[in-house]
Amino acid sequence: MLKYLKKYWLFCLLAPLFMVGEIAMDLIQPDMMATIVDEGVLKSNMDVVLKEGIRMILLVLFGGLSGVMCGVFANLASQQFGNDLRKDLFAKIMNLSFEQTDQFSTGSLITRLVNDTTQIQQMVTLSVRGVVRSSIMFAGGIFMLYLQSPRFALIAACGLPFILLFVVFFLKKATPMFTAVQQKLDGVNNCVQETLAGARVVKAYVREEHELSRFDAANDALCSTSLRVQALLAFMTPCMNIVLNLCIVTILYVGGCTMRAGEDMTSGQIMAAITYMSMILHGVTFMANIFQTFTRARASVSRVNEALHCGDSLPDGSAKPPEAQGEVELRHVTFAYPGGSQNVLEDISLTIHRGETLGIIGATGSGKSTLVSLIPRFYDAAEGEVLIDGMNVKEYSLKQLRERIAIVMQRAELYSRPIEANIRWGRDNASPWEIKHAARVAQADDFICCTKDGYYTLVTEGGHSLSGGQKQRISIARAILKDAEILIFDDTTNALDLQTESRLYQALEQSCPGTTKIIVAQRIASIRNADRIAVLDGGRIAACGTHEKLLASSAIYRDICDSQQ
Amino acid sequence: MTEKNRSDIHQTNNHPNTLPPGFEAGKADTFRYHSQEAKQNSPAVNFGGRRKTSASMGQSVEKPKDTAHTLRRLLQYLGREKLLLLLLLGAVILVTLTALAAPALQGDGIDLILSGDWHLLGDLLVRLLAVYLVNTLCTLCQTYVSAHLSQRIVRRMRHHLFEKIDCLSIPYLDTHSSGDIMSRMTNDVENISTSISQSLGSLFSGVLTIVGTVAIMFHYCFQLTLITMVTVVITILATRLMSAAMRKVYRKRSQVLGQLNGYSEEMITGYRSIVAYNKQEDVIREFNRASDELTKVSIRAEILGGSMGPMMNCISNVGFVIVSAFGGYFALKGIITVGVISAFIIYAKQFSRPLNEIAQLYGSLQTALAGAERIFELLEQPDEDNSGTLPLEQVRGEITFRNVSFSYVPGSPVLRDFSLTVQPGQKIALVGATGSGKTTVVNLLMRFYTPDSGEILIDGTNIQDIRRDDLRRNTAIVLQDTVLFTDTVENNIRYANPEATRELVELAAQTSNSARFIRHLPQKYQTVLIQAGAHLSQGQRQLLTIARAVLADPRILILDEATSSVDTRTEKNIQDAMIRLMQNRTSLIIAHRLSTIQDADKIVVMEKGQVVEIGSHEELLRKKGSYYTLYMTQFAGEQT
Repeated sequence: MLKYLKKYWLFCLLAPLFMVGEIAMDLIQPDMMATIVDEGVLKSNMDVVLKEGIRMILLVLFGGLSGVMCGVFANLASQQFGNDLRKDLFAKIMNLSFEQTDQFSTGSLITRLVNDTTQIQQMVTLSVRGVVRSSIMFAGGIFMLYLQSPRFALIAACGLPFILLFVVFFLKKATPMFTAVQQKLDGVNNCVQETLAGARVVKAYVREEHELSRFDAANDALCSTSLRVQALLAFMTPCMNIVLNLCIVTILYVGGCTMRAGEDMTSGQIMAAITYMSMILHGVTFMANIFQTFTRARASVSRVNEALHCGDSLPDGSAKPPEAQGEVELRHVTFAYPGGSQNVLEDISLTIHRGETLGIIGATGSGKSTLVSLIPRFYDAAEGEVLIDGMNVKEYSLKQLRERIAIVMQRAELYSRPIEANIRWGRDNASPWEIKHAARVAQADDFICCTKDGYYTLVTEGGHSLSGGQKQRISIARAILKDAEILIFDDTTNALDLQTESRLYQALEQSCPGTTKIIVAQRIASIRNADRIAVLDGGRIAACGTHEKLLASSAIYRDICDSQQ
Repeated sequence: MTEKNRSDIHQTNNHPNTLPPGFEAGKADTFRYHSQEAKQNSPAVNFGGRRKTSASMGQSVEKPKDTAHTLRRLLQYLGREKLLLLLLLGAVILVTLTALAAPALQGDGIDLILSGDWHLLGDLLVRLLAVYLVNTLCTLCQTYVSAHLSQRIVRRMRHHLFEKIDCLSIPYLDTHSSGDIMSRMTNDVENISTSISQSLGSLFSGVLTIVGTVAIMFHYCFQLTLITMVTVVITILATRLMSAAMRKVYRKRSQVLGQLNGYSEEMITGYRSIVAYNKQEDVIREFNRASDELTKVSIRAEILGGSMGPMMNCISNVGFVIVSAFGGYFALKGIITVGVISAFIIYAKQFSRPLNEIAQLYGSLQTALAGAERIFELLEQPDEDNSGTLPLEQVRGEITFRNVSFSYVPGSPVLRDFSLTVQPGQKIALVGATGSGKTTVVNLLMRFYTPDSGEILIDGTNIQDIRRDDLRRNTAIVLQDTVLFTDTVENNIRYANPEATRELVELAAQTSNSARFIRHLPQKYQTVLIQAGAHLSQGQRQLLTIARAVLADPRILILDEATSSVDTRTEKNIQDAMIRLMQNRTSLIIAHRLSTIQDADKIVVMEKGQVVEIGSHEELLRKKGSYYTLYMTQFAGEQT
């Protein structure tokens, strides 16, 4: 974390410096007030009142200005620190592997990005402003106490270990509780996110109350956990206060005794000692506040660090990639999802040549989507290897690898921006004509042109503003625009009516004959014209060949065809 | 792509300086969305397709904020906790009193030491200790009660927010960023919580001290008090001046934070396509821009908030000098005695301390207020229409659409004068090109959206008059976009029918053909679906949602592309079960695989929001119309 602050060391240094200015004014000002009262008002000397008054106002103005500048620098440091941290975390999240995202859960990642970073940033603000202030008050107080009488300093020194003890005790107890608070916050966030995403289903099954009770449970857990920490910390300041107040009483007593013994001690010294003790008290209370924020932030720091420093589960390769051809080869590939008890893919070997169209068909859960997600290396094969243009995908840099592949996901992911921008996502420098061409191939041009704003029609979050088939076609257009050597459709035309679908495949064949195409589908019609069709069954390739060949040789394939007659 | 293709595209690109059709509309705004700010500040941009431009949308930004109203609502929340508030008030009073008493006792102690009354000193020290003890206990009590107060209020507020989210209409949810809604739920609520737990006590004691001091000051000399009031007036004026600027920037910060959260939520949930397209850098750049914006606004807000304290300090010192000057003048004129002045000045000093404290809290209060505004804005959104009161019992299942027209965006109708009657127990299939309005029919029937004109009847009663929950309870719906919850498989299936026994759950799983893969899950039916089923295949997810509908046992069943990702053999396997399921029920099926709907009693072919053909499979084939063409494409697909 500290390395993020390093960049702003100047601000971190300036803020406390100005703070010193502010405190100095705070310390001088009471003296001047006393002068005004004693020398001016009480002696009816208007001259002194006005002169000293103006001087005091000027000094206070200077102090105030220092305070404002301190705030400016403290904020420049902490807000920019927070900003850097947030940006880095977001960048890291965007580069997590699918596996890691699944493990963290999106809700938790959002909380970490949004809430935890804010906690940390608040800690920094408070430290930059407060640590110096309370330290000066604390150290200055003790020093002044010593000047009054070493005995008084000794009294304070006796009290300090207790205060330290309290701090350590409370921090130790509170740290795990703060972690729990953040976890419960994840729970609340997850619940809200799911309900928002599944609103139609919640409403359709009239389960609003169930969701509410589910939320209430998460909410209650969060509130009671927060309350537990707050209740614990409620004891912290009073405990410290009592120690310091005891010190004050002792000072009075010891001071009295000393004076009675006739040693060198004045009442003014005792009075001053009490004032300085109160100053120490203020410093310590403030410090306690900082510690509290620290503890809370520590939980957040470890959560952010966990996400920030989680290892690369997909280490980037660095080999020089061979010339892009579009050839894909799977060699004895086996795969299981982490935590899954069963292999989803079992000993798959398959070669797809440049410009070839491969259809993949098979039962639900037979591993079709998993197979294609190994090609752009969303997951790593457990055994065996995946090669593209003769080189193992692990040796490619992820960026270069994924540049060669355009994949259309099963669940069309669109973003809240115009249709044009959603398609342009495929290739940034595409001209409007190229975008239109891609949309035309994807059979999306017609319906896009029918909307009022055409290509500039805004898509709402999650693509709710579009029908399933429209979403699919826009994401297909996006993939076509990408102009990659390998094009993968993961069952992405199932919401299209058959006419549209067959037009799409015809147009696709015409406009990119050299592209290697891998098409996962349920409908025979979608892949019937493929060069080869692989039939997956229980994670294995049961048969592979042309439509005709499979009809003759594969019982499963015949079965599938029969089911669609 | 090969060279040939590239040139192919370039040939299409034969008007390098003109724009292709479809690109004219927003030429000028091409980059509108690039600027996060511009996008968010113009919510009235035209949204296509399903976006219903509701009138409430634009207001959220433009609506003049009524702070008094927000405060009133906030006070309502506080008002519900009278007991805790009283406790807090009591504790604060005691803390303030003991805090005032302690210095006085200290002074007495020194006096005693000076006068040499040693025997009294011990007594006094005990009293001082007692005062400290009371002070400590009351401080503890104050913090403790504030914590309780804030958590109780926050819990209730979140509860209300979620209740509201539960009741928001689908059109609202379809058009608003869920990340922004979540941000209100967490960040904004959190800010209020912090304010209550940390500032409320200080606010109380501050006000208390000010009132007390002013009272005492009046007692001493009303002329000087009036002059002191000048300070108060300056303070109020300055606060007003500052607060106008502050409120604007604090509000802006809440809003920008909401936008950033919305963006993060969208990108983190949709991150698979980002990775697949190597778009991380672009997305990160956009995020950074939004994040920078937030930082800029935050710095501005914090600096403004932070300068409140020093400013107040200056004003109170100016006030002190004024009082001193006038005090001296009055003393010269003999209006007041010197003793009165010295006492008065001590109080004038005391007067400024709470004023400073309140000023320090001002920023935090403003943050809370900005948060509260956003929370109440959401809470004041209209509920989903729940006007119908007629109970729906013994449903026969007759559905009638009578001249229904509907458009998501005014001016581009999705359904035009749509009429259709479904007899009880009939199985009806809706077919047609995507975007022909099939799903809209479902949206209207479920009362997710309301028709612009015409009416929808169930058993002869307009669905708007039926109790909404009854309508939905009798209708089960399976959507193409599967919705699963982070819960066990069993509870996901049981979603529609929480009382169902384990046997029924397993039976439903069997019927939907999902039993087989559930058996292979690590904990079978007790497996908790992580990330709402991220490791299940889309087909498996669909099977689970079908199991859910099976268990719901509705009178009316709606399947909207429910098996689009299920392979056809599995689908065939469920088919028999489905036929059994649909017996004696009215069912509405939307499917592109015509094989699944051939046995429907009636097939409705839709085109551009209108019915173009109705009839059974055979009738329609004989007719050689649209359905025939559709069917033949598929048929042709099957032929070798």
